[in-house]
Amino acid sequence: MIRITDLRHRLLDIPDLTLSTRHIAVIGPNGGGKTTLLSVCSGIEEPEAGSVRLLGRPPSAVKVGWVGEFPDRTLLFSRVYDEIASSLRFRHRPCPETDRTVRAVAEVGGIPRLLGKKVSALSGGEKALVALAAACVDDPEVLVLDEADSHLDAGTAERVSRVVQESKAAHILWCTQSMDTAATADYVLFMENGRVRHRGTPDEVFSALEETCFYPTMWRVCR
Amino acid sequence: MRVDLEGLVFARGPFTLRGSGTFGEGVHLVSGPVGGGKSTLALLLAGLLRPESGAVRRHGVSSALLLLQFPEHHITCPTVAGEVRSWGLAPEDVLLRADLLGRGDDDPFHLSRGELRRLTLACAVMQNPDLLVLDEPFSSLDCVAKGEACWMIEERGAGITIIFSHERAVLPRVDAIWEMEDGVLTARGSVPDAIPSWRHAPPYLRYALREGARPENIRLSDAREALCRIRG
Repeated sequence: MIRITDLRHRLLDIPDLTLSTRHIAVIGPNGGGKTTLLSVCSGIEEPEAGSVRLLGRPPSAVKVGWVGEFPDRTLLFSRVYDEIASSLRFRHRPCPETDRTVRAVAEVGGIPRLLGKKVSALSGGEKALVALAAACVDDPEVLVLDEADSHLDAGTAERVSRVVQESKAAHILWCTQSMDTAATADYVLFMENGRVRHRGTPDEVFSALEETCFYPTMWRVCR
Repeated sequence: MRVDLEGLVFARGPFTLRGSGTFGEGVHLVSGPVGGGKSTLALLLAGLLRPESGAVRRHGVSSALLLLQFPEHHITCPTVAGEVRSWGLAPEDVLLRADLLGRGDDDPFHLSRGELRRLTLACAVMQNPDLLVLDEPFSSLDCVAKGEACWMIEERGAGITIIFSHERAVLPRVDAIWEMEDGVLTARGSVPDAIPSWRHAPPYLRYALREGARPENIRLSDAREALCRIRG
Protein backbone atom coordinates (compact mmCIF):
# COMPACT_ATOMS: atom_id res chain seq x y z
CA MET A 1 0.00 0.00 0.00
CA ILE A 2 1.25 3.49 -0.90
CA ARG A 3 -0.50 6.23 1.01
CA ILE A 4 -0.08 9.96 0.35
CA THR A 5 -1.75 12.50 2.61
CA ASP A 6 -1.84 16.30 2.28
CA LEU A 7 1.32 16.28 0.21
CA ARG A 8 2.69 19.66 -0.83
CA HIS A 9 6.16 19.72 -2.25
CA ARG A 10 7.45 22.11 -4.91
CA LEU A 11 4.67 22.04 -7.52
CA LEU A 12 3.06 18.89 -6.11
CA ASP A 13 -0.34 19.20 -4.50
CA ILE A 14 -1.86 15.82 -3.69
CA PRO A 15 -4.42 15.90 -0.85
CA ASP A 16 -5.13 12.20 -0.70
CA LEU A 17 -3.97 9.20 -2.71
CA THR A 18 -4.01 5.52 -1.83
CA LEU A 19 -2.48 2.97 -4.18
CA SER A 20 -2.90 -0.72 -3.50
CA THR A 21 -2.13 -2.22 -6.92
CA ARG A 22 1.29 -3.54 -7.88
CA HIS A 23 2.13 -2.01 -11.25
CA ILE A 24 1.36 1.72 -11.26
CA ALA A 25 2.05 3.82 -14.38
CA VAL A 26 2.65 7.55 -13.92
CA ILE A 27 2.02 9.55 -17.09
CA GLY A 28 1.48 13.14 -18.20
CA PRO A 29 3.19 16.06 -19.92
CA ASN A 30 6.82 17.11 -19.29
CA GLY A 31 7.04 19.34 -16.24
CA GLY A 32 3.82 17.98 -14.68
CA GLY A 33 5.47 16.73 -11.48
CA LYS A 34 5.99 13.05 -12.30
CA THR A 35 9.68 12.93 -11.36
CA THR A 36 9.06 15.00 -8.22
CA LEU A 37 6.36 12.54 -7.13
CA LEU A 38 8.69 9.59 -7.70
CA SER A 39 11.50 11.33 -5.78
CA VAL A 40 9.24 11.92 -2.79
CA CYS A 41 7.85 8.36 -2.92
CA SER A 42 11.32 6.85 -2.98
CA GLY A 43 12.66 9.00 -0.14
CA ILE A 44 15.16 10.90 -2.30
CA GLU A 45 13.36 14.11 -1.30
CA GLU A 46 11.58 14.88 1.97
CA PRO A 47 8.18 16.49 1.35
CA GLU A 48 7.78 20.11 2.48
CA ALA A 49 4.40 19.21 3.95
CA GLY A 50 2.27 16.11 4.27
CA SER A 51 3.28 12.48 4.39
CA VAL A 52 4.10 9.53 2.18
CA ARG A 53 3.96 5.96 3.55
CA LEU A 54 5.08 2.90 1.65
CA LEU A 55 3.93 -0.42 3.10
CA GLY A 56 3.03 1.44 6.30
CA ARG A 57 6.52 2.91 6.71
CA PRO A 58 8.27 6.13 5.70
CA PRO A 59 10.13 5.73 2.38
CA SER A 60 13.51 5.91 4.13
CA ALA A 61 12.66 2.68 5.97
CA VAL A 62 11.76 0.81 2.78
CA LYS A 63 14.14 -0.89 0.35
CA VAL A 64 13.59 1.11 -2.85
CA GLY A 65 15.23 0.38 -6.20
CA TRP A 66 15.51 3.46 -8.43
CA VAL A 67 16.19 3.58 -12.16
CA GLY A 68 16.45 7.09 -13.56
CA GLU A 69 16.11 8.40 -17.06
CA PHE A 70 19.82 9.15 -17.30
CA PRO A 71 21.72 6.13 -15.92
CA ASP A 72 24.99 8.05 -16.40
CA ARG A 73 23.99 10.17 -13.43
CA THR A 74 23.48 7.21 -11.07
CA LEU A 75 26.11 4.65 -12.11
CA LEU A 76 28.91 4.85 -9.53
CA PHE A 77 31.45 2.21 -10.49
CA SER A 78 33.56 1.90 -13.60
CA ARG A 79 33.00 -1.83 -14.15
CA VAL A 80 29.54 -3.30 -14.78
CA TYR A 81 30.05 -6.19 -12.35
CA ASP A 82 31.07 -3.81 -9.54
CA GLU A 83 28.08 -1.56 -10.22
CA ILE A 84 25.58 -4.41 -9.99
CA ALA A 85 27.32 -5.94 -6.96
CA SER A 86 27.59 -2.65 -5.08
CA SER A 87 24.46 -2.73 -2.93
CA LEU A 88 25.17 -6.34 -1.85
CA ARG A 89 28.78 -5.44 -1.01
CA PHE A 90 27.64 -2.39 0.97
CA ARG A 91 25.55 -4.82 3.00
CA HIS A 92 28.61 -7.05 3.58
CA ARG A 93 26.98 -10.10 2.02
CA PRO A 94 29.35 -13.08 1.51
CA CYS A 95 31.30 -12.93 -1.76
CA PRO A 96 30.07 -16.26 -3.19
CA GLU A 97 26.44 -15.25 -2.56
CA THR A 98 27.04 -11.82 -4.09
CA ASP A 99 28.61 -13.42 -7.13
CA ARG A 100 25.69 -15.84 -7.58
CA THR A 101 23.10 -13.06 -7.23
CA VAL A 102 24.91 -10.70 -9.61
CA ARG A 103 25.12 -13.40 -12.27
CA ALA A 104 21.48 -14.41 -11.79
CA VAL A 105 20.27 -10.80 -12.12
CA ALA A 106 22.46 -10.29 -15.20
CA GLU A 107 20.96 -13.45 -16.70
CA VAL A 108 17.38 -12.20 -16.22
CA GLY A 109 18.31 -8.87 -17.77
CA GLY A 110 20.05 -10.57 -20.70
CA ILE A 111 23.35 -8.83 -19.95
CA PRO A 112 25.82 -11.54 -18.77
CA ARG A 113 28.17 -10.55 -21.62
CA LEU A 114 28.40 -7.02 -20.19
CA LEU A 115 29.61 -8.03 -16.70
CA GLY A 116 33.31 -7.63 -17.47
CA LYS A 117 32.90 -4.43 -19.46
CA LYS A 118 33.63 -0.87 -18.47
CA VAL A 119 30.52 1.22 -17.91
CA SER A 120 31.98 3.97 -20.09
CA ALA A 121 32.07 1.59 -23.08
CA LEU A 122 28.32 0.85 -22.93
CA SER A 123 25.61 2.33 -25.11
CA GLY A 124 22.77 4.30 -23.49
CA GLY A 125 20.39 1.34 -23.61
CA GLU A 126 22.97 -1.01 -22.12
CA LYS A 127 23.52 1.45 -19.28
CA ALA A 128 19.77 1.45 -18.60
CA LEU A 129 19.81 -2.36 -18.37
CA VAL A 130 22.80 -2.23 -15.99
CA ALA A 131 21.07 0.41 -13.83
CA LEU A 132 17.96 -1.79 -13.72
CA ALA A 133 20.00 -4.85 -12.72
CA ALA A 134 21.74 -2.82 -10.00
CA ALA A 135 18.35 -1.64 -8.72
CA CYS A 136 16.92 -5.18 -8.65
CA VAL A 137 19.91 -7.05 -7.21
CA ASP A 138 18.94 -6.55 -3.56
CA ASP A 139 15.24 -7.44 -4.04
CA PRO A 140 13.71 -3.99 -3.53
CA GLU A 141 10.29 -3.80 -1.87
CA VAL A 142 9.36 -0.93 -4.17
CA LEU A 143 10.84 -0.47 -7.64
CA VAL A 144 10.76 3.04 -9.16
CA LEU A 145 11.46 3.73 -12.84
CA ASP A 146 11.62 7.33 -13.99
CA GLU A 147 11.23 7.30 -17.78
CA ALA A 148 13.86 4.60 -17.87
CA ASP A 149 12.44 3.53 -21.24
CA SER A 150 12.89 6.97 -22.87
CA HIS A 151 16.11 6.07 -24.61
CA LEU A 152 15.35 2.42 -25.32
CA ASP A 153 14.35 0.61 -28.50
CA ALA A 154 11.41 -1.82 -28.60
CA GLY A 155 13.46 -4.95 -27.87
CA THR A 156 15.31 -3.43 -24.93
CA ALA A 157 12.13 -1.84 -23.53
CA GLU A 158 10.45 -5.24 -23.63
CA ARG A 159 13.36 -6.75 -21.75
CA VAL A 160 13.06 -4.03 -19.11
CA SER A 161 9.34 -4.84 -18.78
CA ARG A 162 10.13 -8.52 -18.27
CA VAL A 163 12.75 -7.85 -15.59
CA VAL A 164 10.35 -5.50 -13.82
CA GLN A 165 7.52 -8.03 -13.92
CA GLU A 166 9.77 -10.76 -12.53
CA SER A 167 10.99 -8.63 -9.62
CA LYS A 168 9.56 -9.45 -6.21
CA ALA A 169 8.72 -5.80 -5.49
CA ALA A 170 5.31 -5.20 -3.87
CA HIS A 171 4.91 -2.00 -5.89
CA ILE A 172 6.32 -0.78 -9.17
CA LEU A 173 6.02 2.94 -9.80
CA TRP A 174 6.71 3.41 -13.48
CA CYS A 175 6.79 6.81 -15.10
CA THR A 176 6.75 6.50 -18.88
CA GLN A 177 6.05 8.47 -22.06
CA SER A 178 4.93 5.28 -23.79
CA MET A 179 1.16 5.14 -23.45
CA ASP A 180 1.18 1.63 -24.92
CA THR A 181 3.36 0.57 -21.98
CA ALA A 182 1.17 2.46 -19.49
CA ALA A 183 -1.89 0.66 -20.89
CA THR A 184 -0.49 -2.62 -19.52
CA ALA A 185 -0.30 -1.32 -15.92
CA ASP A 186 -2.79 -2.21 -13.17
CA TYR A 187 -3.39 1.43 -12.34
CA VAL A 188 -2.61 4.75 -14.05
CA LEU A 189 -1.99 8.23 -12.62
CA PHE A 190 -2.11 11.17 -15.04
CA MET A 191 -0.19 14.10 -13.54
CA GLU A 192 -0.45 17.67 -14.74
CA ASN A 193 0.66 20.90 -13.06
CA GLY A 194 1.61 18.99 -9.91
CA ARG A 195 -1.82 17.44 -9.46
CA VAL A 196 -3.27 14.01 -10.16
CA ARG A 197 -5.75 14.88 -12.93
CA HIS A 198 -6.91 11.34 -13.64
CA ARG A 199 -6.52 8.10 -11.75
CA GLY A 200 -7.88 4.61 -12.22
CA THR A 201 -7.53 1.55 -14.40
CA PRO A 202 -6.00 2.12 -17.85
CA ASP A 203 -9.54 1.95 -19.31
CA GLU A 204 -10.82 4.64 -16.95
CA VAL A 205 -7.88 7.01 -17.39
CA PHE A 206 -7.42 6.67 -21.14
CA SER A 207 -11.13 7.06 -21.85
CA ALA A 208 -10.73 10.55 -20.34
CA LEU A 209 -7.72 11.16 -22.62
CA GLU A 210 -9.19 9.87 -25.87
CA GLU A 211 -9.18 13.31 -27.49
CA THR A 212 -5.47 13.85 -26.69
CA CYS A 213 -2.21 12.36 -27.94
CA PHE A 214 -1.95 10.61 -24.55
CA TYR A 215 -4.11 7.79 -25.90
CA PRO A 216 -2.32 4.48 -26.56
CA THR A 217 -1.53 4.11 -30.27
CA MET A 218 -2.62 0.46 -30.28
CA TRP A 219 -5.99 1.37 -28.80
CA ARG A 220 -6.30 4.03 -31.49
CA VAL A 221 -5.92 1.49 -34.31
CA CYS A 222 -7.55 -1.55 -32.68
CA ARG A 223 -10.65 -0.07 -31.08
CA MET B 1 22.22 16.96 -53.60
CA ARG B 2 23.14 13.62 -52.00
CA VAL B 3 25.38 11.88 -49.49
CA ASP B 4 27.00 8.61 -50.53
CA LEU B 5 28.35 6.07 -48.09
CA GLU B 6 31.03 4.12 -49.94
CA GLY B 7 32.01 0.91 -48.16
CA LEU B 8 32.10 2.70 -44.84
CA VAL B 9 33.91 0.83 -42.04
CA PHE B 10 34.43 2.13 -38.53
CA ALA B 11 35.63 -0.05 -35.64
CA ARG B 12 35.81 0.56 -31.93
CA GLY B 13 36.82 -2.41 -29.77
CA PRO B 14 34.78 -5.45 -30.78
CA PHE B 15 32.17 -3.23 -32.49
CA THR B 16 32.37 -2.65 -36.23
CA LEU B 17 30.08 -0.39 -38.21
CA ARG B 18 29.53 -1.02 -41.91
CA GLY B 19 27.40 0.95 -44.30
CA SER B 20 26.82 1.67 -47.97
CA GLY B 21 24.08 3.58 -49.70
CA THR B 22 22.85 6.96 -50.85
CA PHE B 23 20.89 9.54 -48.88
CA GLY B 24 19.07 11.76 -51.37
CA GLU B 25 16.95 14.84 -50.73
CA GLY B 26 14.03 14.33 -48.37
CA VAL B 27 13.48 12.91 -44.89
CA HIS B 28 15.21 9.64 -43.98
CA LEU B 29 14.47 7.63 -40.85
CA VAL B 30 17.19 5.33 -39.49
CA SER B 31 15.79 3.01 -36.83
CA GLY B 32 17.26 0.12 -34.90
CA PRO B 33 18.06 -1.14 -31.42
CA VAL B 34 20.20 0.73 -28.94
CA GLY B 35 23.87 -0.08 -29.21
CA GLY B 36 23.40 -0.86 -32.90
CA GLY B 37 25.57 2.04 -34.06
CA LYS B 38 23.01 4.77 -34.80
CA SER B 39 24.79 7.58 -32.94
CA THR B 40 28.16 6.50 -34.37
CA LEU B 41 26.75 6.67 -37.90
CA ALA B 42 25.29 10.12 -37.11
CA LEU B 43 28.77 11.31 -36.09
CA LEU B 44 30.30 9.81 -39.26
CA LEU B 45 27.66 11.48 -41.45
CA ALA B 46 28.31 14.81 -39.76
CA GLY B 47 32.04 14.43 -40.33
CA LEU B 48 32.84 14.34 -36.60
CA LEU B 49 34.33 10.85 -36.84
CA ARG B 50 36.59 9.55 -39.57
CA PRO B 51 35.99 6.09 -41.02
CA GLU B 52 38.77 3.51 -41.01
CA SER B 53 38.09 2.72 -44.61
CA GLY B 54 35.55 3.79 -47.18
CA ALA B 55 34.14 7.29 -47.24
CA VAL B 56 31.20 9.60 -46.66
CA ARG B 57 31.00 11.64 -49.87
CA ARG B 58 28.82 14.73 -50.07
CA HIS B 59 27.67 15.89 -53.48
CA GLY B 60 26.22 19.39 -53.74
CA VAL B 61 26.02 19.62 -49.95
CA SER B 62 27.47 22.94 -48.83
CA SER B 63 26.44 22.88 -45.17
CA ALA B 64 25.83 20.16 -42.60
CA LEU B 65 24.57 20.14 -39.05
CA LEU B 66 24.20 17.48 -36.37
CA LEU B 67 21.64 17.98 -33.63
CA LEU B 68 22.78 15.99 -30.59
CA GLN B 69 20.58 13.63 -28.61
CA PHE B 70 20.72 15.91 -25.55
CA PRO B 71 19.78 19.48 -26.53
CA GLU B 72 21.52 20.89 -23.44
CA HIS B 73 24.84 19.89 -25.00
CA HIS B 74 24.30 22.60 -27.63
CA ILE B 75 23.93 25.46 -25.15
CA THR B 76 26.76 28.01 -25.16
CA CYS B 77 25.07 31.26 -23.98
CA PRO B 78 23.46 32.36 -20.70
CA THR B 79 20.27 33.62 -22.35
CA VAL B 80 17.83 32.12 -24.84
CA ALA B 81 18.20 35.12 -27.18
CA GLY B 82 22.00 34.91 -26.98
CA GLU B 83 21.79 31.22 -27.75
CA VAL B 84 19.77 31.94 -30.90
CA ARG B 85 22.25 34.65 -31.96
CA SER B 86 25.11 32.16 -31.50
CA TRP B 87 23.53 30.19 -34.35
CA GLY B 88 23.72 33.34 -36.51
CA LEU B 89 19.95 33.80 -36.41
CA ALA B 90 17.59 36.59 -35.35
CA PRO B 91 15.97 35.79 -31.98
CA GLU B 92 12.52 37.18 -32.91
CA ASP B 93 12.05 34.80 -35.86
CA VAL B 94 13.30 31.72 -34.03
CA LEU B 95 11.39 32.39 -30.81
CA LEU B 96 8.19 32.82 -32.82
CA ARG B 97 8.82 29.56 -34.65
CA ALA B 98 9.71 27.75 -31.41
CA ASP B 99 6.67 29.21 -29.62
CA LEU B 100 8.98 30.82 -27.04
CA LEU B 101 8.09 34.49 -27.50
CA GLY B 102 8.92 36.52 -24.40
CA ARG B 103 11.48 33.95 -23.18
CA GLY B 104 14.53 35.63 -24.80
CA ASP B 105 16.02 36.80 -21.50
CA ASP B 106 15.57 33.45 -19.76
CA ASP B 107 18.42 31.10 -18.93
CA PRO B 108 18.25 28.26 -21.51
CA PHE B 109 18.59 25.78 -18.64
CA HIS B 110 15.36 27.11 -17.16
CA LEU B 111 13.45 25.95 -20.22
CA SER B 112 11.67 22.61 -19.97
CA ARG B 113 13.00 19.69 -21.93
CA GLY B 114 10.35 20.12 -24.61
CA GLU B 115 11.03 23.86 -24.86
CA LEU B 116 14.79 23.35 -25.14
CA ARG B 117 14.26 20.74 -27.88
CA ARG B 118 11.93 23.14 -29.74
CA LEU B 119 14.57 25.86 -29.44
CA THR B 120 17.47 23.82 -30.80
CA LEU B 121 15.33 22.23 -33.49
CA ALA B 122 13.99 25.63 -34.59
CA CYS B 123 17.57 26.98 -34.74
CA ALA B 124 18.71 23.99 -36.78
CA VAL B 125 15.74 24.09 -39.17
CA MET B 126 15.97 27.87 -39.65
CA GLN B 127 19.69 27.74 -40.27
CA ASN B 128 18.54 25.45 -43.06
CA PRO B 129 21.65 23.35 -43.68
CA ASP B 130 21.72 21.18 -46.80
CA LEU B 131 22.31 18.15 -44.56
CA LEU B 132 20.54 18.00 -41.19
CA VAL B 133 21.26 14.99 -38.97
CA LEU B 134 19.02 14.55 -35.93
CA ASP B 135 20.09 12.08 -33.22
CA GLU B 136 17.04 10.89 -31.26
CA PRO B 137 15.08 14.15 -31.58
CA PHE B 138 12.02 12.71 -29.80
CA SER B 139 13.49 11.07 -26.70
CA SER B 140 12.44 12.49 -23.30
CA LEU B 141 9.60 14.45 -24.87
CA ASP B 142 5.90 14.06 -24.14
CA CYS B 143 3.59 13.35 -27.06
CA VAL B 144 2.65 17.03 -27.48
CA ALA B 145 6.31 18.07 -27.80
CA LYS B 146 7.05 15.10 -30.10
CA GLY B 147 4.22 16.27 -32.34
CA GLU B 148 5.71 19.77 -32.47
CA ALA B 149 9.14 18.35 -33.35
CA CYS B 150 7.57 16.29 -36.17
CA TRP B 151 5.82 19.37 -37.49
CA MET B 152 9.11 21.31 -37.62
CA ILE B 153 10.85 18.46 -39.46
CA GLU B 154 8.01 18.15 -41.98
CA GLU B 155 8.02 21.92 -42.54
CA ARG B 156 11.63 21.80 -43.71
CA GLY B 157 11.04 21.92 -47.44
CA ALA B 158 14.41 21.14 -49.01
CA GLY B 159 17.68 19.43 -48.22
CA ILE B 160 18.56 16.06 -46.76
CA THR B 161 17.19 15.31 -43.29
CA ILE B 162 18.35 12.14 -41.55
CA ILE B 163 16.58 11.19 -38.32
CA PHE B 164 18.04 8.56 -36.01
CA SER B 165 15.28 7.37 -33.73
CA HIS B 166 13.69 4.42 -31.98
CA GLU B 167 10.43 6.35 -31.48
CA ARG B 168 7.35 4.12 -31.74
CA ALA B 169 4.35 6.40 -31.29
CA VAL B 170 4.82 9.89 -32.75
CA LEU B 171 6.69 9.98 -36.06
CA PRO B 172 6.91 12.49 -38.91
CA ARG B 173 6.12 11.84 -42.56
CA VAL B 174 9.29 10.37 -44.09
CA ASP B 175 10.55 9.54 -47.60
CA ALA B 176 12.87 6.61 -46.89
CA ILE B 177 13.55 4.04 -44.20
CA TRP B 178 16.87 2.58 -43.11
CA GLU B 179 17.74 0.14 -40.35
CA MET B 180 20.88 -0.09 -38.27
CA GLU B 181 21.47 -3.29 -36.36
CA ASP B 182 24.66 -4.84 -34.97
CA GLY B 183 26.63 -2.15 -36.76
CA VAL B 184 25.20 -2.90 -40.21
CA LEU B 185 23.20 -0.30 -42.13
CA THR B 186 20.43 -1.67 -44.36
CA ALA B 187 18.36 0.40 -46.77
CA ARG B 188 14.68 -0.56 -46.73
CA GLY B 189 13.94 1.89 -49.56
CA SER B 190 11.32 4.53 -50.26
CA VAL B 191 8.05 4.89 -48.40
CA PRO B 192 5.44 3.42 -48.79
CA ASP B 193 7.05 0.40 -50.50
CA ALA B 194 9.59 0.06 -47.68
CA ILE B 195 6.98 -0.18 -44.92
CA PRO B 196 6.21 -3.94 -45.10
CA SER B 197 9.90 -4.86 -44.85
CA TRP B 198 10.61 -2.44 -41.98
CA ARG B 199 11.59 -4.73 -39.09
CA HIS B 200 11.51 -2.00 -36.43
CA ALA B 201 8.13 -0.61 -37.49
CA PRO B 202 6.02 0.71 -34.60
CA PRO B 203 3.32 -1.64 -33.27
CA TYR B 204 0.41 0.35 -34.74
CA LEU B 205 1.95 0.12 -38.22
CA ARG B 206 2.57 -3.59 -37.90
CA TYR B 207 -0.99 -4.08 -36.75
CA ALA B 208 -2.30 -2.17 -39.79
CA LEU B 209 -0.16 -4.36 -42.09
CA ARG B 210 -1.40 -7.54 -40.41
CA GLU B 211 -4.96 -6.40 -40.99
CA GLY B 212 -4.18 -6.08 -44.70
CA ALA B 213 -4.02 -2.27 -44.77
CA ARG B 214 -1.38 -0.47 -46.82
CA PRO B 215 -0.47 2.82 -45.06
CA GLU B 216 0.90 5.53 -47.33
CA ASN B 217 3.34 6.73 -44.70
CA ILE B 218 4.46 5.80 -41.20
CA ARG B 219 2.45 8.13 -38.95
CA LEU B 220 -0.35 6.89 -36.69
CA SER B 221 -2.77 8.91 -38.82
CA ASP B 222 -1.54 7.06 -41.94
CA ALA B 223 -2.17 3.70 -40.27
CA ARG B 224 -5.67 4.80 -39.20
CA GLU B 225 -6.54 6.10 -42.67
CA ALA B 226 -5.36 2.88 -44.29
CA LEU B 227 -7.42 0.85 -41.83
CA CYS B 228 -10.47 3.04 -42.52
CA ARG B 229 -10.07 2.42 -46.24
CA ILE B 230 -10.23 -1.36 -45.86
CA ARG B 231 -12.82 -1.35 -43.09
CA GLY B 232 -15.01 1.14 -44.87
